[in-house]
Amino acid sequence: MAKTRTWILIILAILVLSLAASVYLLTRRPDGRVARIYVDGELIREIDLDALAAPERFTVATDRGENVVLAEPGRIRVESADCPDQVCVRAGWLSDSATPIVCLPHRLVIELAGETGLDAEVG
Amino acid sequence: MSAKRLARDGIFAAVATVIFMVELRLPELAPIPGVKLGLANIVTLAALYLMGPADAAGVLCTRIVLGGVFAGNLMAVAYSAAGGAAAYLTALLMRKLVTEKQIWVSSVFMALAHGLGQMAAAVLLTATPGLAVYLPPMLAAGVVTGTLTGFAAQFAVSRLKPILRK
Repeated sequence: MAKTRTWILIILAILVLSLAASVYLLTRRPDGRVARIYVDGELIREIDLDALAAPERFTVATDRGENVVLAEPGRIRVESADCPDQVCVRAGWLSDSATPIVCLPHRLVIELAGETGLDAEVG
Repeated sequence: MSAKRLARDGIFAAVATVIFMVELRLPELAPIPGVKLGLANIVTLAALYLMGPADAAGVLCTRIVLGGVFAGNLMAVAYSAAGGAAAYLTALLMRKLVTEKQIWVSSVFMALAHGLGQMAAAVLLTATPGLAVYLPPMLAAGVVTGTLTGFAAQFAVSRLKPILRK
């Protein structure tokens, strides 16, 4: 049986490592501002937020439930959802973070990426 | 199974289910999917030390199924089953590695395993490996919440042991 002291050191090491990794991962910046919306891992929509002239509101409906997504020039959020935990709504605006908005109950993911598929083809 | 054992396990399963459901009603700690106190792990851990692996597994399964039914969210059952099973197996392993004064250490590793299991289920179900960016904050939160629930379990075990032996 290891001493309590040893366990505390191991646990502190895990804490420090995961905190460092969190800070690194959560402060990353995306390459661009193209919002990609996935349901079940499948890309269902792509919006270039910088090219957006006016706010756009749309509903992503699956047989599991609905998320109302609001895209504005430069940012995007889940405005409302009928999921029980509301984590996606509370995540707020996504504008310059590489961390995705997730709605686990509806298997919806919104993340920012670089160029759109279209731009990449043209360029 | 004796009537006494059935009643005792039933009480544990009921307590676990209630704790699980009360926790669902608490506001989220962070806008990160899956970060929560993990209060239900207290009961799993206490059941393991007070009644052994078989009874603890029964209590855990009952809680996951009943919790999912009463919460009206069967999707959550998949996540909580993955997390709960990972936490349970970790607790079994840790029981060989720690003394009864170090139960809280088991709890920390249970919380970490719970996070890993839940994350694995989420990545598989949403087919989105990118969710893994949430793993480090989940693990950091797990260390903190696991320590707190661990001491709760430790106190529960030391208080309940003399009562249950009668």
